Amino acid sequence: MNKCINSDIQEMLPDLLHRTLADDARKRVAAHVATCESCQEDLDVLRTVKSAAVFAPSIDVDRVVRQIPTYRTIVPAIERPASTRVVSWLVAASLALVVLGGGSVLMIQSKGSRASNSTASQLPNKVAKGSEVSTPSPDGGVILPKPIQLVVAPNPHALALAAEADGLSDRSLVQLMNDMNGFDALPGSEPDPVISVDSGDSL
Amino acid sequence: MIPSPEGRPEETDTELINRWKAGDSRAATQLVGRHSQALARFAASAGEREGIEELVQDTFVRAFASLDSFRGASTLRTWLFTIERRLMLDRRRAERRSRETVPVEESDHVSEYGALDGLIAEEAQERVRKSLDALSPTQREVFTLRVQHGLSYKEIAEVVGSTEGAARVHYHNALKTVKEFLKNE
Repeated sequence: MNKCINSDIQEMLPDLLHRTLADDARKRVAAHVATCESCQEDLDVLRTVKSAAVFAPSIDVDRVVRQIPTYRTIVPAIERPASTRVVSWLVAASLALVVLGGGSVLMIQSKGSRASNSTASQLPNKVAKGSEVSTPSPDGGVILPKPIQLVVAPNPHALALAAEADGLSDRSLVQLMNDMNGFDALPGSEPDPVISVDSGDSL
Repeated sequence: MIPSPEGRPEETDTELINRWKAGDSRAATQLVGRHSQALARFAASAGEREGIEELVQDTFVRAFASLDSFRGASTLRTWLFTIERRLMLDRRRAERRSRETVPVEESDHVSEYGALDGLIAEEAQERVRKSLDALSPTQREVFTLRVQHGLSYKEIAEVVGSTEGAARVHYHNALKTVKEFLKNE
């Protein structure tokens, strides 16, 4: 017996069995099956399988229904629409931003005023301290050093680091940097590696 | 509405669902009565041996609890099969885990299905059952959904979480195996 090559018909055999085909399709499939041994055999197998549906216990419908809660008890609490939730999130995010931003501005302002106060109050002390330092002269006398004239930068924004460096002016700072470049305290290059001398005791 | 055998127009699943939502518990009884045996048969043909009634009950409880998510894109029965299949997979996973820890006892082999085997008189039923046992789990699911429940490939793909093409291939392979088995018996 030749295998049927009409795959469309083969696909519809279970539907023929379940009578779910439209009239014209059912007639077409039935006409084909009447002349095709292969499809007849397939249909017999399908009919056997369908009629010999695997044993299943009968279900107690009332028992099942008793377990089903009523619709009202299982409908969850009405959720707010998604758009409302998005707006809430945006408001919360904006508030957080305002609080953080405002806090940062306040902190910067208070820090700035403290720094300027401390610079202003320390400046005369430094000068006064400097004037107290004395050095012995070769002839046994004492040379009093000239008091250091500190020039405060006219532009408060110029070299903001000056505030941290006890109010040094731009010129003083540049001078200090040049002096530091001239220091010879650090070696010019990395130290040479220590080469151990083989004493002949190695393994 | 679908005409019932008695000539009375039979309500569709959607109409019954709406009635149940409106508070009519009789609609739930009708829905369960309409689909419970098909679910039991599907479970049995998929290889479930014990607790089929409990499985069907769990399927309905879950389904009714989430009926709002049923959009009617498939038939209610297909949707119920999908839920039941997921429950079966969960159950099998749990059984596998318990088998790994609890030693298998002799009584485990005796099931209500096995006890009732003797009552299944028809030789054809036995042969078919054996032939279905020769299939892979997916082949068996696809084949029984197609032949015993008359689902389309699209519906089967939805139930087993596959594609229509894959379902078609499983069906044809299963048919070939079952045919050979029944021929050689």
